[in-house]
Amino acid sequence: MNSSPVLFALDALTGALFLLTALGVVATRQVLASLQLFILQSLLLALSAVLLGNAQGSIHLFAVAAITIATKTLLIPWLLRHTVSAEVYRTREIERVLNIPSSLLIAAVLIVLAYVVANPLLGAVEVPFAQVNLPFGIAAMFLGAFTIAVRREAVPQLLGLLAVENGVFFAGVAIVPNLPVIAELAAAVDVPVIALVLGMLTRRIHARLGTTSVGDLASLREH
Amino acid sequence: MELIGIVVAPVLAGGFSLLPVGRRFAAPVTVLATAGVLGLAVAVAMQAARTGRVEASGEWLTCDGLGALVLLLVAFVGFTAALFSWGYIAERGKRGGPRNVQHYYGLYNLFVLSMLLVPLLANVALMWIAVELTTLLSAFLVGFEDTPEALEAAWKYVILTTLGAVLALLGFLILYWGSRVAGVEAFTWAGLIEAAPRMPPALLWPAFLFILVGFGTKVGLVPMHTWLPDAHSQAPASICALLSGVETTTVLYVILRLLPVVDVAPGLDARPWFIGFGLLSVAIATLLFIHVRDFKRMFAFSTVEHMGIILVAAGLGGADAHLGAAYQMTGHAIAKSFCFFAAGVTVLGVGTQDIAAVRGLVRSSPLAAIALLAGGFAIAGAPPFAVFMSEFVILKAGLASGQYLVVGLLAVLVVIAFCAVMLHVNRMVFGVAEQEMAAVTVPRSCKVTLALAAIPLLIIGIYVPAPLYDLLKAAASAMGG
Amino acid sequence: MIERIVYNIIQVAVVVAFAPLVEGVTSRLKEILQSKRGPSIFQPYRDIWKLLHKDEIVSEQSSWIFRAAPYVAFAAPVFVALLIPVLTRYPLFFAFMGDMLGGGFVLALGGFFSSLAAVDTANPYGPMGASRTRMVGFLAEPVFIVVFLTVSFVAGSTIPYIVQTRWVTPIANFFEPAHVLLMIAFLMLILAEDGRIPVDSPSGQFELAMIDRSKSLEYSGRGAAVMKWAGAMKFFVLICIFLNVLVTPWGLAQGMGVGEVLLAIPLVLFKIFCFVLVLVYIESSLAKLRLFRITEFLGAAFVISVIAMITQLSEI
Repeated sequence: MNSSPVLFALDALTGALFLLTALGVVATRQVLASLQLFILQSLLLALSAVLLGNAQGSIHLFAVAAITIATKTLLIPWLLRHTVSAEVYRTREIERVLNIPSSLLIAAVLIVLAYVVANPLLGAVEVPFAQVNLPFGIAAMFLGAFTIAVRREAVPQLLGLLAVENGVFFAGVAIVPNLPVIAELAAAVDVPVIALVLGMLTRRIHARLGTTSVGDLASLREH
Repeated sequence: MELIGIVVAPVLAGGFSLLPVGRRFAAPVTVLATAGVLGLAVAVAMQAARTGRVEASGEWLTCDGLGALVLLLVAFVGFTAALFSWGYIAERGKRGGPRNVQHYYGLYNLFVLSMLLVPLLANVALMWIAVELTTLLSAFLVGFEDTPEALEAAWKYVILTTLGAVLALLGFLILYWGSRVAGVEAFTWAGLIEAAPRMPPALLWPAFLFILVGFGTKVGLVPMHTWLPDAHSQAPASICALLSGVETTTVLYVILRLLPVVDVAPGLDARPWFIGFGLLSVAIATLLFIHVRDFKRMFAFSTVEHMGIILVAAGLGGADAHLGAAYQMTGHAIAKSFCFFAAGVTVLGVGTQDIAAVRGLVRSSPLAAIALLAGGFAIAGAPPFAVFMSEFVILKAGLASGQYLVVGLLAVLVVIAFCAVMLHVNRMVFGVAEQEMAAVTVPRSCKVTLALAAIPLLIIGIYVPAPLYDLLKAAASAMGG
Repeated sequence: MIERIVYNIIQVAVVVAFAPLVEGVTSRLKEILQSKRGPSIFQPYRDIWKLLHKDEIVSEQSSWIFRAAPYVAFAAPVFVALLIPVLTRYPLFFAFMGDMLGGGFVLALGGFFSSLAAVDTANPYGPMGASRTRMVGFLAEPVFIVVFLTVSFVAGSTIPYIVQTRWVTPIANFFEPAHVLLMIAFLMLILAEDGRIPVDSPSGQFELAMIDRSKSLEYSGRGAAVMKWAGAMKFFVLICIFLNVLVTPWGLAQGMGVGEVLLAIPLVLFKIFCFVLVLVYIESSLAKLRLFRITEFLGAAFVISVIAMITQLSEI
C-alpha cells in the first residue's frame, strides 16, 4: 500500500500538523493569529498534495497544490486584509461561549468521532494515503464546524468555514486525486468568492453595528 | 438550444444592470430577460414532458422531467418576482439611492441564473458549484435592507448554508470515489445511477448521509433550519419569494435526485430517512407556527413545513406519491411566492412585519387584505387550491401503500398548521384596528404582479393543463416512481 | 557486568557535575539573545561554592521536613539519573530498577518534599508558590502519563532504553505524527515543570509572581546551595529524558569500551546545547502567561498528547 514509507510518514506528519492548526483556530484568542494559522493550514494542504503527487507521479496533484497556494495562502489573506478593516484584526476575543480547555477537550472527542466515521470508509476500499488524509480531513471538518459554533467574532467564524473546506480538500486529495480539471478550478474559484462575500459582509456589519461580534447578534427569535 | 438561451439571458441582463446606463433601465431589462427565460423554459418543459429528455450539448447542459419542472418553476417565480421588484425595490431602495438598486438587479439576475443552472448542469461537481453560488449571490440580497436584523440574518444564512454545502461536497467526493471504484468515469447523475449497484455500500451510505444533512441545511430541514426563518423574513419581499418559493425547492431537487441512486444499490434504503427528516420538519414547523410573531417568518416556517411534506412524499414511494410530490412542489412555488408578494404589499402599507401590529387590513388596504387572505388559504392547504390537492394525493398514496402511521401523523400536523396559519391571517385581515392606518398607494407593478400570479394560483388547483400533467408525470418517473 | 556498574556511576557523576553548567549556559545564552553580555557560564558553580561556605539559618518553628527537603530534592534526580539513558544506548546496571513511570514518581517525590518544606515555613510566599506549583503539577500529570503510556505502547515496554530505539529504526519512524506530537507535548511539559517562560519567569525576582522559585526562598547557606543544585539537576534530567528517549539517541555510546562512553559525554553535552538554543529562542520570543491561562497551555499540551495517542492507536 505504501509505495514509500518515508513519504507516507511525512504525509502523516503533515496531517497531524494540519489538525493542530485546526485546533489552533478553535483555541486562539487573537483574530490575527487565527488568520495566520489558516495560512499555515493551507500551506500544509498544498504540501500534502505535493507529497501525494510525488508518490503517485501525478501532475494533476501538483497543479492542485499550486492552485491551493495561489488562492488560499496569497489571494484569500489579501482579500480578507482589504475587505475587513485592520481594526478588526487587532481585537481579541475575551468572552467565549465555552472556555478554552473545555473547547479543547470537546475537540479531542470530535477527533475521535472523525476516526469512527472514517474507519468504515477506509475498510471498504484500499487507496494509498487515504488512511492518513481521510481521518485527518474529516477531523479538520468537524473542528472547523465546532469553531463556527463556539467563536463569537466574525473573522474566526469565517476562517472556521474555510477550515472545513480545507479539511474536505485534504480528504479529497487522497480519495479523488483525478477530479476533472473543471471541477477543480471551479472549486478553487469558489473559495475566494466565499471569502470575499463574507469579508464584505463583515465590513458592512462592522460599519453598521460597530462590532464584529456576530455571535452576540441574537435579536431574531420567537419570544 | 433553448437551454443555452436560458443561461445567456440573465448574464446579459445582469451585466447591463451594472453599467451606468442601467441605472434607469435595470428593472425593465430584468423583467424582459426573465420573461424571455420563462418563455424558453416553457418550451423546454413541453419538450421534456413529451420526450423525457432535453439536451443542449450532451456533456454540459441536459434536462430531464424533474429538472424541467424545477426549471419552469424557477423561471416563473423569477419573472413574477422581477416584476414585483420593479415597484417594490423602487419604493424601498429610495434610501440607498439608484446605485443600490443597480446592485440589486445585477445580483438578482445572477442569482436567478445560478438557480437555473442547478437543474441544467450535467456534471455533478459543477452543479454543486451552482448551489454554492445561489448562497453567495443572494447574501447581499438578503441583507439588502441594511438593518441590524437583516445583516444578522445574512451572516447566519451564508455561514450555515455554506457549511452545509461543504459537508455535502465531502459526500459528493465520496460518491465520485465510489463511482470510480465501480468503474464509471463520468461524474453525472446518469453515471451515478449506473455505478450505484457496484459501489461499495460503505461508501454510498455515508455519502448519502453527508449530502442529506449538508444540503438539508440549505433546504431548511429540521434541525438545521435555524437560519431559514431569519433569512427568509429579513430579505425584501421579492427575494423572499425567490428564496422560499424556489431556492429551497432547487436544493431539494438535488436531494431527490439521490433517491434513484440509492434505490438501485442493493441493501440500502433511503426512504426511512426521508420520512424521518420530513416528519420532523413538519412537526417542528407546525409547533413554531403557534408562537410566531412576524408574518414573514410565519411564511418562512410554512416553507419548512412544505419541504418536509415533499420529502415525506418522496419517502413514501410509488408513482402516485412521487406525482404528489411534484404537484406539491409546483403548488408550493406558486402559492409561496404569491404569499410573499402579499406580505410585501402589506409591509409597504403598514411598515412593520409584526403580526400583532396589523389589524383590520381589509379596511386600510383591501388589496393587501385580499391577497393575504388568498395566499394564506392557498399555502395553508385549503381547497380548492393546489396545495390541498397535492396533499390529498400524497395522503391517498400513503394509505394505498399501507403506511398508516406516517399518513396519520402527517394529516394531523397539516391540519394543525392550517389552523395556525388561518388564525394569524384572520387576525391580520379582519379584526378591529387599534389605530387608523393611512391608506397607501401600492406601486403599479406590484398590483400587476399580484394579478398575474393569482391566475395560476387559482387555476392549478382545479384544472391541471395536459402538458403540465405530463410534465409532472415525467418528473415523478425521474424520481424513480 | 562491572563495567555497567562503573558506567552507571559515571553517568550519575556526569549529571551531578554538569547540571550547573547547563544552567549557566542557558542563562548566558538568553542574555546574549537579548543583546546583553550575561554572566559567565560557570557562575552557578561559584554561587553554589559561595553558598556552601555561608552560615545556615533555620527557623525554630520549622520541622524536620524543612531540614530534610533539600537532600530529598537532591537525591531524586540522582536516582532518576540511574534509570535513564544519559551516556549509553544499552541498559546499564540499575536500568531495570524502575521504568519511566517510576522515574516520574521519584521526581514528583522531590517536588512534593519541596512543596511541603515551603509550607513548613511561615513565609507567606512559600505556601503561595507551593500551591501554584501543585496546580501546574496536577495539570501536567495527565500529559506526563499520556506521553509515557503512548511511548510505552509504541515500544512495547516502559523501560526508556528500549523505547529510544523505536524512533530511529527505520528513519521514517522519526516523522511519525505520534512522535512529533509527543515531542511537542513533552516540550510544553518541560517548560511547565521547570518553570520556564511562558509558565514562569526563572530570572524574575518578584515574589508575588513566582511559581517555582518561591519554594526555596527561606533557605540559606548549605540548604540553599543544595536546593539550587537540585533544581539544576532536575532540569538536566528532564532534558536527558526528552532528548535521549524521545528525540534521538544520537551521540550515545554504542559499544562497551570506556573510551566510547567518555566520548559520549561531550556529544551528549553538544546535543543538550542544541536543545538549549531552541529553548532560549522560545523563551525570548514569548511572554509569561497569566496564571489562569496556564490551564489553557497545559490543556493544549494534553490534547496534543491525546491526539498523538489516537494517531498511534489508529496505526497511522
